[in-house]
Amino acid sequence: MAIEKYSDMNLQELDIMKEIGSIGTSHAATSLSKMLQKEVRITIPRVSVLNYQTALDQTGDPEEIVAATLVKMDGDVDGLMLFLFNLRFANRILEKFMGKTFEGLEFMDELGASALTEVGNIIICSYINAFSQLAGMNIQLSVPSFTINMLGGILTVPMTECGNDTDQLMYFDADFLIEGEKMNDWLLMLADIASLNRILSKLGVS
Amino acid sequence: MTMFDKDLKVGIGDMKFARNEGRVVTYALGSCIGVTFYDPMIRLGALLHVMLPNKGAGGDQNPFKYADAGIRETLRKLTVFGMMKSRTVVKIAGGAKMFEISGKADFGNIGQRNIMVVKQVLREEGLRIAAEDTGGVCARTMFLDVGTGSVMIRAVGKPERYL
Repeated sequence: MAIEKYSDMNLQELDIMKEIGSIGTSHAATSLSKMLQKEVRITIPRVSVLNYQTALDQTGDPEEIVAATLVKMDGDVDGLMLFLFNLRFANRILEKFMGKTFEGLEFMDELGASALTEVGNIIICSYINAFSQLAGMNIQLSVPSFTINMLGGILTVPMTECGNDTDQLMYFDADFLIEGEKMNDWLLMLADIASLNRILSKLGVS
Repeated sequence: MTMFDKDLKVGIGDMKFARNEGRVVTYALGSCIGVTFYDPMIRLGALLHVMLPNKGAGGDQNPFKYADAGIRETLRKLTVFGMMKSRTVVKIAGGAKMFEISGKADFGNIGQRNIMVVKQVLREEGLRIAAEDTGGVCARTMFLDVGTGSVMIRAVGKPERYL
């Protein structure tokens, strides 16, 4: 049976999405670990279906300045991949690659922004590679786009993309633990409903 | 700091109004648009947060998500509470382009389309825009002080400013 709303998914379907999300995230963690040459663990990935306002409220302060890499997916899955860094996480990465840190993300220079864009892109690509191999789906990725902006404003991007069809957001996310220290990052995969149905039928659940 | 206790929060695709005192606020407008309506005579102020341009034919129950339906519904409500269009001061903010993807020019254009439709609907309703802070790439937070009608904008890496 085709799904019309994200909240129509049953427990088994949610579980399967969580499982493939978790495989994608582990691949992303592996590439992050290689880049940083540090131990990276992940928390158990979550899959959430939330109303827009609830999603915004749960993420935290909408005015917090975060950095974000965004990649658009086309092909068998239509949607967005979003990777968000908060200041602490961004500094951990920049310290490693450039030997410098910033007092605030809004003071970021071009080189720093470019490094974060690429790190976000590599994380997203390893996620999607694992995902598409497992699901046997062909997903094309756009070139990465980057912004330093208010968290709330960034999260409305996927909402406006699908806003005419739904009031809900379905996303997978997991936190990275770098040498035991929890980083508040967000790796979000946001697929539209038609793509979700394609994923589920490809995996033989619906 | 008592004034902060009275902040009325407007969510995404939502509208709130207040009278005489307090502030109405909406946080982190990205490509969305905040529209404030203020009638100084009766000190009635509203803040509308729309995320998409046109409602279309779909059966969506929430008019405030859309510029066209949202503005009209807000005006209808405020008129019931005594607002007169001829006295009303309208200010708008938002419509930023959050992400730019090279080779996909139409991606993220929703902000511009929102601005266009908001202006068009306001014009059709006979309302003039007194001030605006739109476009660009920065998310904005918008405050409306219902006591005075002043509108304040907070954006990334910029000092707070009044519209």
